[in-house]
Amino acid sequence: MDNRPSSHAVGVSLCDSAPLLWRVEDLRTVRSQGLVGALLGSLPRTPRQNVRLGRPLLLLEEEETLLRERQAAAAGYQQDGRGAELRLQVQQHQEDQQRSYEEQSVLALEDRKSALLRAMTSSHTESGAGALDGALRGRLEALDRSFTFPCSALAVQLSTARAGLSYCPEARSILRADRPIRGRDELSCDTGRYQVFTDLRGRGFYLTSAGKFGGDFLVYPGDPLRFHAHFIAICVSKNESVGLLDLLSVARLGSNVKKTVLLCSPGPDGRVLYTSLQWSGMV
Amino acid sequence: MSDASNSAEKPPPPNWILHHPAYQQMKSLEIEDSAQVHAAFLVFMDLTEVRQWKEVSCVKSPELQVILLEGREKEGAPVQTVLPLPVHRSLSHKSIRHVLDRGFPMLLCAVACDSTLVYQRMTDGLVTPDPPAGPFQDLGRRQHRKRRQKP
Repeated sequence: MDNRPSSHAVGVSLCDSAPLLWRVEDLRTVRSQGLVGALLGSLPRTPRQNVRLGRPLLLLEEEETLLRERQAAAAGYQQDGRGAELRLQVQQHQEDQQRSYEEQSVLALEDRKSALLRAMTSSHTESGAGALDGALRGRLEALDRSFTFPCSALAVQLSTARAGLSYCPEARSILRADRPIRGRDELSCDTGRYQVFTDLRGRGFYLTSAGKFGGDFLVYPGDPLRFHAHFIAICVSKNESVGLLDLLSVARLGSNVKKTVLLCSPGPDGRVLYTSLQWSGMV
Repeated sequence: MSDASNSAEKPPPPNWILHHPAYQQMKSLEIEDSAQVHAAFLVFMDLTEVRQWKEVSCVKSPELQVILLEGREKEGAPVQTVLPLPVHRSLSHKSIRHVLDRGFPMLLCAVACDSTLVYQRMTDGLVTPDPPAGPFQDLGRRQHRKRRQKP
């Protein structure tokens, strides 16, 4: 497992305080260092589902801190002052939409007229031809006057076949990583959790967040794509008081999902104490 | 004969727990937390009478100021430590480590107000969970196809 500072620094973009990775090579780099993160983006060709997500990758606080300590993170380029170009693009887009709207209105009206024609000629085959023509002409004229094509019915084309984030020249300048972020003396994240994270990572485990199980981390014996998690890690300080009912509920949950609950407390000498909670099965 | 049946049917006194020798032994350890002593007694009765554990004894933990129980599940089995606690208590990881440091396998027992007992195993280190039990059947694509057909 690679602990040396990586020659390739990944570009971390901050969205408020959330650390995001956008480039595929960055995702590959962090995965090779044993950091998993969580994909957040929707894929245009498979919308409306949460099973398969795309970039960006959201890093855990602890993962970001680890990258900074290894000097493997660099600030994403914060672009500013492209206002005029963007305004032009917005104007262009609006004009395109307006043109599309006008074309579609004409087509929609023609559709309605032909549907009306079909309906009236099929239902009035028995009545006189003269009366039919008169009624039909009246209806068609009324349609011409009153027909409006609603904006909500406008068909909009979204191009999904774009060649990816790294090929577009504007995007490339945004994503170029410039200033390296040095490891800060004061860690932004909870030091207790961070100590547990680095200790378990150092033992070769892969860690992700465990919100679904009411814990701090899910601990995998290998890459999460290949293994189920073995442990639900809960970080407490040695002297912190935990309610017995909470211990019972989390141990019971653990046994239901076939994971051991791990109480983790960082000690003063840098070592971390682990206690495994298991349902006793004594009925 | 009527005397014999009378004495057999005589009900135990209402405060029979207080007179029980095991309880009085626990009382002699001078723990101030009477709720914990009561919990310890209930666990003691469960281990000895219900689960038939052997050589069950009580001992005082000076650091935690509670009564711990020790016993063997069967003749010749290793000694285990049981920490009985009323269920509405809280405890720290440090206290758990104190009991673990005694060197015996540890069970935490939570005692509810209706005397329900719940045992939880505590072990030092990372204990890999049991793998899921087989036999496993590969459902293949059938499972996913079924899901998609749902409205």
